[in-house]
Amino acid sequence: MRTILIKLVRLVIVVWIITLFSFTLIKLTGGNNDLVSKIIPFGSEQQKDILREDLGLQDPFFTQYFRWLGDFLTGDFGNIYTPNPQPVSETLAEALPVSLELMIYAQVLALLIAIPLGVATAYRNGTKFDRGTNTIAFGLLALPNFVVALLLAIYVGAKWGWLPTQSNLIPFPLNPIDNWQYMLMPTIALALGQIAIYMRLLRSDMIATLQEDFTTTAKAKGIPTRRVLFRHALRPSSLTLLTVAGLNVGALIGGAVVVERIFNLPGIGSRLTEAILAQQYVAVQSYVALIAIFYILINFFVDVLYTVLDPRIRHARAVA
Amino acid sequence: MPEQSPSPGDDLVQALVDDEIRGDVAPDEATIHTAAVEAGPEIERLKERKGKGLGFSAWLAIGWLAMIVILGFAAPILPIPDPVADATPALARQGPSADHIMGLDGSGRDVFSRVIWGMRNSLFIGAVSVLIGLVVGGSLGVISGYFKGRLGGFIGASLDVLLAFPPLILALSIVTFLGRTVPNVTLSLAIVSIPVLARIARASTLSWSEREFVLAARAQGAKHFRIMRREILPNVLPAMFSIALLGIAVVIVAEGGLAIIGAGVKPDVTTWGNIIVSGQGDLRDASHIVLFPSFCIFFTVLALNFLGDVVRAKFDVRESSL
Repeated sequence: MRTILIKLVRLVIVVWIITLFSFTLIKLTGGNNDLVSKIIPFGSEQQKDILREDLGLQDPFFTQYFRWLGDFLTGDFGNIYTPNPQPVSETLAEALPVSLELMIYAQVLALLIAIPLGVATAYRNGTKFDRGTNTIAFGLLALPNFVVALLLAIYVGAKWGWLPTQSNLIPFPLNPIDNWQYMLMPTIALALGQIAIYMRLLRSDMIATLQEDFTTTAKAKGIPTRRVLFRHALRPSSLTLLTVAGLNVGALIGGAVVVERIFNLPGIGSRLTEAILAQQYVAVQSYVALIAIFYILINFFVDVLYTVLDPRIRHARAVA
Repeated sequence: MPEQSPSPGDDLVQALVDDEIRGDVAPDEATIHTAAVEAGPEIERLKERKGKGLGFSAWLAIGWLAMIVILGFAAPILPIPDPVADATPALARQGPSADHIMGLDGSGRDVFSRVIWGMRNSLFIGAVSVLIGLVVGGSLGVISGYFKGRLGGFIGASLDVLLAFPPLILALSIVTFLGRTVPNVTLSLAIVSIPVLARIARASTLSWSEREFVLAARAQGAKHFRIMRREILPNVLPAMFSIALLGIAVVIVAEGGLAIIGAGVKPDVTTWGNIIVSGQGDLRDASHIVLFPSFCIFFTVLALNFLGDVVRAKFDVRESSL
């Protein structure tokens, strides 16, 4: 309990620093006038004055910061000041489910493929199958997700026309089949690299587990190989995998932003990109802070889960 | 080498996971990528080659990298059209031909010339940002690993904050707010790589500073700085170098990602990422525009990943570092 409490305190401190950092970012763009004329380049002087007033730019730094923080914590993430203005919080309601859906699909697909492959290559360590799979995985590690996304978009989408690329994403509850058609390519693009990572890490962990006494005992008792692999050996080997899968959400977020952009998926990544291109710094600031906090919370959750799962298991293995 | 020892990537993950449990350092994706590269059987085969030279694959990787470095350096004196100014709009989107071996892009610019100039800029961004990460991160890591007390704790905590951002998000926010120039993109990717390299240096230093020869140096009255520079640094460097090679690969990919989301260098500077962005609208009719730079990124990353393994196998980093 005490360790979790310490972690919680650290979490609050880090989140606080993140908000301070995110808020400071907008001050890097130059002076206040600069900032205002970048956000509404075609606005009249009167509109610019209103915006200046709205952002409270005349106040001291920390007054501004705490007002921003207060707004942020109460769900007011500022506005997008394009010709048709919109509060950032409104865009979140539509965009967040799309991004989460994409990341969950990618993570699940990656694990579904990586776990059996990792177990099989560990069991057949050194065979042609093992070497072949590992060579492919080594290649996949060098394949950036945007290259996979572009290849899919070029061939599967544009040239062969098997799957739609221009996205009118239909929410899953309305029509699961259509939804999956749009989600399939982005999911594969995002998952492919993760498959290679998870498979290789699980494999190296499994090889160690398979040489331990308890697996030998299980085999000697005549338990079928499949059962030994998936019931006895996978469980102790999967702790690393689960941790890595949790920590890897950072890569997944970055990848999702890029992949959403390529496939025009209306998620947070596309919103963020639009905001960057339209110089909507207030919105960018909020998106960055929100994404970072989401990432920290995931890490915190994984961390606590780990403590709950009893770290002694892990340390016993580290000694072995 | 005992046969039951797990492969080297395992140790890295183990260190990562243990650190994570102790709450010492925050996680990061580059370490995971590194661990995954090194977890495979390739490195064992490389180790078996010890004393037998580098082998064909390694020379192929070195050859590819040497080629792009030389072409990148020589870009201004090569007899190729200007990557931005020389455009023949009439021939826009034309596929590869004898005159333009990689075809032309949407504005009628020669893709081959752009890919060469892209090498120059993408490699510059990759190499310089990792170099900054290596110097700054390496120093911070060695110092925080050597002085385990308050100073080490403070440095560690500061790096944790940097690691609390998803790397691409941190980089894009710095570039967006500072401006889309080559120095700013390089700086942002350097800032992303500092904590990654620092943690490797720190973990490595922690184990080395316990060793007898460090104790002996201290007993002889050597100053802290001298111990760090003469006793610890030479041992930490091989691990750092191996990871720096992978780091360059990660940064080259990150540059592409940043360009795609509009937070890379401005389009008038030719980078691999920007070439891809310029071809995104022509995927169906002129896919060569995105394919050639994509292949270049892929082969470069593959070569760097592989050489990272070679360095690790040559120096047997596993036993010495983590």
